[in-house]
Amino acid sequence: MTKVEAIIQVSKLEAVKDALHEVGVEGMTVFEARGHGRQKGHTEFYRGREYTVDLIPKVKLEIVLADEMVEKVVQAITAAARTGKIGDGKIFLSRIDEAIRIRNDERGESVL
Amino acid sequence: MTTVATVRSELQDLYGRESAAIEQEFSVTGDGRAALARRTALVDGIVQRLWNEIIVSSHPASTDSGSKPADGDGPKDFALVATGGFGRGWLFPHSDIDLLFLHAGGNSESEFKDPIRRFSQELWDLRMKLSPATRNLAECERLDPNNVEFAISLLDCRYLAGDRELFTRLREKAIPRLVSRDCQNLIQNLAEITRARHHKFGNTVFHLEPNVKDGPGGLRDYNVANWLALISAMEKLKVWPDEKTLLPVSSRRAFDAALDFQMSVRCFLHFRHGRHDNTLFWEAQDEAAARKIGASIGANDAEITNTADWMRVYFGHVLSVHRVCNQLLEEIPAAWSSLYRQFQGWRSKVASADFSVVDGLIFLQQPGGLRDPEMLLRLFHFMAEHGLKLSTTTEYKVEQALPALAATPPRGAELWLYLQETLVQPHAADALRAMNALRLLALLLPELKGIEALVVRDFYHRYTVDEHSFLAIEHLHRLKESKSEWDQRFAELQSELEQPELLYLALLLHDSGKGVPGENHVEVSMQLTDSCAERLDLDPVDRETVRYLVANHLEMSAAMRRDIFDPANVKLFAERVGVPERLKMLCLMTYADIKAVNPEAMTPWRADNLWQLYIACANFLSRSADERVHTGNKDDGSGGNLAHLRSLAPVAGKKINVFLEGLPQRYLRIHGASDVLAHAEMAARLGQDGVQLNLKQVRHWYELTLITTDRSFLFASVSGALAAWGMNIVKANAFSNAAGMVVDTFYFADRFRTLEMNLQEWERLKKSIAAVVKGEADVARMLRDRLKSEKGNVTKVKIATQIEFDDNCSAHSTLLQVLTQDRPGLLYRMCSLVSKHECNIEIALIETEGQMAIDVLYLTSGGAKLSADRQAALGRALREELAAR
Repeated sequence: MTKVEAIIQVSKLEAVKDALHEVGVEGMTVFEARGHGRQKGHTEFYRGREYTVDLIPKVKLEIVLADEMVEKVVQAITAAARTGKIGDGKIFLSRIDEAIRIRNDERGESVL
Repeated sequence: MTTVATVRSELQDLYGRESAAIEQEFSVTGDGRAALARRTALVDGIVQRLWNEIIVSSHPASTDSGSKPADGDGPKDFALVATGGFGRGWLFPHSDIDLLFLHAGGNSESEFKDPIRRFSQELWDLRMKLSPATRNLAECERLDPNNVEFAISLLDCRYLAGDRELFTRLREKAIPRLVSRDCQNLIQNLAEITRARHHKFGNTVFHLEPNVKDGPGGLRDYNVANWLALISAMEKLKVWPDEKTLLPVSSRRAFDAALDFQMSVRCFLHFRHGRHDNTLFWEAQDEAAARKIGASIGANDAEITNTADWMRVYFGHVLSVHRVCNQLLEEIPAAWSSLYRQFQGWRSKVASADFSVVDGLIFLQQPGGLRDPEMLLRLFHFMAEHGLKLSTTTEYKVEQALPALAATPPRGAELWLYLQETLVQPHAADALRAMNALRLLALLLPELKGIEALVVRDFYHRYTVDEHSFLAIEHLHRLKESKSEWDQRFAELQSELEQPELLYLALLLHDSGKGVPGENHVEVSMQLTDSCAERLDLDPVDRETVRYLVANHLEMSAAMRRDIFDPANVKLFAERVGVPERLKMLCLMTYADIKAVNPEAMTPWRADNLWQLYIACANFLSRSADERVHTGNKDDGSGGNLAHLRSLAPVAGKKINVFLEGLPQRYLRIHGASDVLAHAEMAARLGQDGVQLNLKQVRHWYELTLITTDRSFLFASVSGALAAWGMNIVKANAFSNAAGMVVDTFYFADRFRTLEMNLQEWERLKKSIAAVVKGEADVARMLRDRLKSEKGNVTKVKIATQIEFDDNCSAHSTLLQVLTQDRPGLLYRMCSLVSKHECNIEIALIETEGQMAIDVLYLTSGGAKLSADRQAALGRALREELAAR
């Protein structure tokens, strides 16, 4: 099993969700996030005051998948989230040892 | 097999068989009260049998001599007592069984330790959830501040087995003595625990998935009300009072019906969940509605056709319990700390000729007064203003007045006058809740009937639709007192609103369409808003504002899902909103709407995004004001406004075209259709009189519109003349069209009430302005006299001057933004200086926020943008001028 963590633009969340549903992903966890990579902050002046946003709003998705699904899911996310500009986000993959359904103690890929 | 083991086996069979039979009977009858009585009797029988087998048989006095204690079975000075819910005879299928092992004291505790352990063990083995306590009589008579719940549980004590005389001493002597001595502590503790519990549930009964036991208005509140009444009565009588006299008959009827209903619902939940879980989940609501659980109690079966109907019946019962419980918490003085009572005593000073205030409760000065609908509206306005609650008698009087009111409910401007004054008061949400609970709100505004106690299945929402709307209004009112960084930003916006009452009305109506299932709720809400605006006889411009807010209440949330830092997205959204005032309202509406979804919904992440979107759009609007209207083009740049105007006045089409040609689009966004048509009329009269003026009073200030031919120092001169009259300009707009005609509008406060006190001064002011515009009066001299008389005025907040030029935001002009300390004559001094530097004011957008003047001027010189040298020179001159007092 693999955990996919994708940090994407807020505006791309709906498109990514649709793309994931299309490739058969039914469940995901979404977090409100802030951060920046090479895309730096933003400053706006209002009524003589400076409002600086160092960390840009993003959303982070977490999905745990059976290994054979991973490539399809990565492609779905990149296709839906890409604008070609700085700030499109990143995808991280990591190994997962076990999954347990709390309701009935079921274990393994069938939990996903 | 030992005797006890045989008994255990027997009891296990009995308990299993009888429990199944109770469940079976409930599934047929749905009668919760009967199920609880039968289950209580079952458990009574089991514990009494075990008492005989374990306690009586193991005690030497019973077995050896055969002598029995004075009354009851088992050893003397030892008794088994049911307390809490078990004591009341309300043993729900999965509730704890509260038992008190009562002994007389001395060595008896150690003597009974082992039998008690064995007795308890047997009950646990029978899979009964036992909650045991062992106390002697003296301990029961003492209030343990760390365990007030135990003292409260004694109020429901019931004899089960053992020394009856000991039990009688507990009930007839120890408990009355405890209550008499510690009445104040008991009530205060009970009140504190109850308020903390209510707070945990957001102080509202209207949860989408309510807890039928602990939620406000739930079974626990029923008990709290009874305990409060019981303790108060026992403290006075020193003995147990007659339970039937504890609450007034009028409350008792609704209260008992609510109890029967809630007993059935909780019983249903325990059987359904198979555990002690009192949450009325959505699936359980569907099932309860389909089975019409408790439906025959206080409602007609035919009234319940779906889950929403059943939930309304549920909320009706819960509300009546909540009201009685809260009334007792308010009315029993001991329920409050002495400090609070002192505060409430101080608040009684707000009493008026119509209402008196005692301990924070409103009473009517003239009991028959509510026959006058105005008095009724004044009552809720009073409540909203002072944050007070209605007394029981006042609520009763309101209920009595409703049938007559229903025949001829107030409407039109009279109703709107009171409603708007109520909506802007700090405690408006509480007044609305009280009106809603008494069924007055839907009587006045039937558009809200559909969302009364309405449960809408939504993963994020926590409250019913009506409560969500009240909460949104409450959140806006609370902004002012909040310490949160986010709230303070939004509070600043709120304080700038010109007509906050329109925003509150829009919040009240924004989800009204949810009462019509299956439809797009925004569209239905708009229809209901139209109907409500008609009922309130709203001014057309106000009606349009409320309609706009309701129609677009989800739009800013949607815009936040796009890239809020992308200038194209900002432009798109800002242009759709069009006017800064609407942007402020929409931003606050979005904030309040999200925050009222559930306590966690407005995260700092969302609040920051909303604020960033707001300031980006606000900046865009002030920096894109000079896009022009071109009446001849297919895309005239008016966003459909021009076509609308032509349809309103078809014969005036040419006149309107001439007037509008070349005016900034901002002009059309700021002024409604009726204003534009009036301005076009004034423009057409310029041939007769070269200075057209219109002065009118609007809600918060006066509005002066000037239409004339553009000339140097014009804007500065009029600003100066108004300042010389002592008027405080809070807002101004200046626009010019292609033919060189200007439309300037000044909004000002009449600081010395000159116009209010002297009607003839209206004409004198207009003549004075006209004379200044025509160059017949010396504005500098007029202003000098005024400023001399105001020299001693001290400013409370120091605002540092900031001057900024921007050449990029307009294709034709240079934008000058000045933020500085507001002061009399400021606009005149600033604009005179601009004119002296040979700059023409194409557009002026003037605002005042507290003591800060925010002036945005679009300037040209010789028909072009300002050169760098001219900008530098003007900037220096402005800094010097504004640095001088």
